[in-house]
Amino acid sequence: MDAEIREMNLQNPDEFEQWRSFLAGLGIANFTADEVDPLDGTIGLFEGDRLMATGSYSENILKYIGVCHKTSENGVYFNKIVSTLLTILGQQGIFHIFVFTKPQYSASFQHVGFQEIVHSESAAFLETGPTSINDYLAGIPKVEGASSAIVMNANPFTLGHRYLVEEAARHSRHVYVFVVSTDKSLFNSQERLEMVKDGTADLENVDVVSGSDYLVSYATFPAYFLKSDTSRVRYQTTIDALIFKERIAPTLSITTRYLGTEPQSETTNVYNEVLESVLPPTVQVEIIPRKETDGKIISARDVRLAIKDDRLADLTGLVPPTTATFITEHKAELQARIRKGMKIDGN
Amino acid sequence: MEIKKTAMDGTLESSDIQITVSKGTDGVQIDLTSDVQERFGEQIKQTIEKVVKDFDVDNVNVKAVDQGALDCVIKARTITALQRALGTSAEPAWEVL
Repeated sequence: MDAEIREMNLQNPDEFEQWRSFLAGLGIANFTADEVDPLDGTIGLFEGDRLMATGSYSENILKYIGVCHKTSENGVYFNKIVSTLLTILGQQGIFHIFVFTKPQYSASFQHVGFQEIVHSESAAFLETGPTSINDYLAGIPKVEGASSAIVMNANPFTLGHRYLVEEAARHSRHVYVFVVSTDKSLFNSQERLEMVKDGTADLENVDVVSGSDYLVSYATFPAYFLKSDTSRVRYQTTIDALIFKERIAPTLSITTRYLGTEPQSETTNVYNEVLESVLPPTVQVEIIPRKETDGKIISARDVRLAIKDDRLADLTGLVPPTTATFITEHKAELQARIRKGMKIDGN
Repeated sequence: MEIKKTAMDGTLESSDIQITVSKGTDGVQIDLTSDVQERFGEQIKQTIEKVVKDFDVDNVNVKAVDQGALDCVIKARTITALQRALGTSAEPAWEVL
C-alpha cells in the first residue's frame, strides 16, 4: 500500500490519541506536557488511515520517532520520517540537528548520517549536520598543560559565581568557564556569556567559552522515552557528565571540574552526585561550599527577585559591579521579560 | 565562488543521496556515509568533487548520506544543493549540466 506523509495536529484530541497509542505500543510512555508542549511539529506516515511511523521536532532536536515494527517496510519508513524531518528543519535554516534516543536505535540513526556523541545505558545522544562537537572543540583556545573547568548558567553572574571561579583559578594553572547557552533563562545566552567575561576579565588564567550545544542545561534534555519520570534527572545528568568526560575533557586536557554546592536545590544535588560518580578518575571533582554574605548564601534567584521587585539597591552584596552595571542599564527590558512570563524562581 | 549559506538537497530514501553543503575553510571536504562505501566510496566522492570544481567553488564542506544513489542522482543532488548554497537556484547552470 502506498504510504503518505502528513502533518499531524496534536491539538486535535483524536489525532493526539492515535499518535499517543501508536507510540505507547512501541514502549514510549511519557506524554507529559513538559515533553509534548515544546514540540514545534509532528509528522505521521500513514497507510490509508493507519499510522505506521511518526516523528516530531522541537527546535533542533528530533523527538518521538517511532516506526511500526510489524511492517517489513520498517527501515524504509524510518528513513522517510527522518528524511522528511531534516528537510522541514532545513527549510527553516536549521541543519545542525540532535536526537536523544534509546541506545538500541543509535545504529539506525548512524546509518542515516548521524554521529554518536555519547551513550549511556539508557540513552544515546547523536547529531548530524555541517558541524559537529569536533568543530566546537577545535574553536576553543588551547593552553599548555592541565586545566580545570566550571560549568555555569550564570543567570545572572553573582559574587557566588565569582567566588567559585576565584577558588578554581587560585588552585589551577588554567580554568575554562563554560557558560550554558540554552536560552530558557531571564538573561539570554549572549548576555550571560558577556557578564561572565566582564566579571572575570581581571583573572589572567581564566578563559570564558560558550557551552554551545554540548553543555546543555540539563533541564532541556528530552526524557520522553524513559519509563518513569523519577529517573529523569539522573539520566539527563548522566548524558551531560559523559559528554564532559568523554569528549570535552580529553580534548582540552581538563583534569578537574569545580562544582558549587546548592543547599536549596534537590536537582543540583542530584546533578553533583552524578558528576561525582561519573567523572572520576578521568576528571577529579572539587566541591566548593557556597559563598555566604551576612550568614546567607548568595543566590542568583534572589538577584532575579530583586530585579522583579525593583530593589536594585539590594544587588550590591550579591553581584560584582560589572553585573550590577549590566542590570541597571537593562532594567526595563529585564522587567518586561518577567512581566511577559519568563520564569525566575527556578535555579 | 563562495558558499553563502548552508543548503541541502535529497532524501534518505533508497536510491537517493542527501547532500548538505556549507562554508568551508580547507578546500573541498567530503564526509560520506554509505552502505557501499567500500566499493563505491571513492567514485561517489569523485562525482561530488567534479561538480564542486565545475561550479568553481574552492572551499566547501559537503556532507553526503548515500542510500545507493546512481551517479546521475548524485550529480543532480549536488548541483541543486550547491545552487541553493550559492544563491543561484534561479539560474540554470548550463555549463555544469
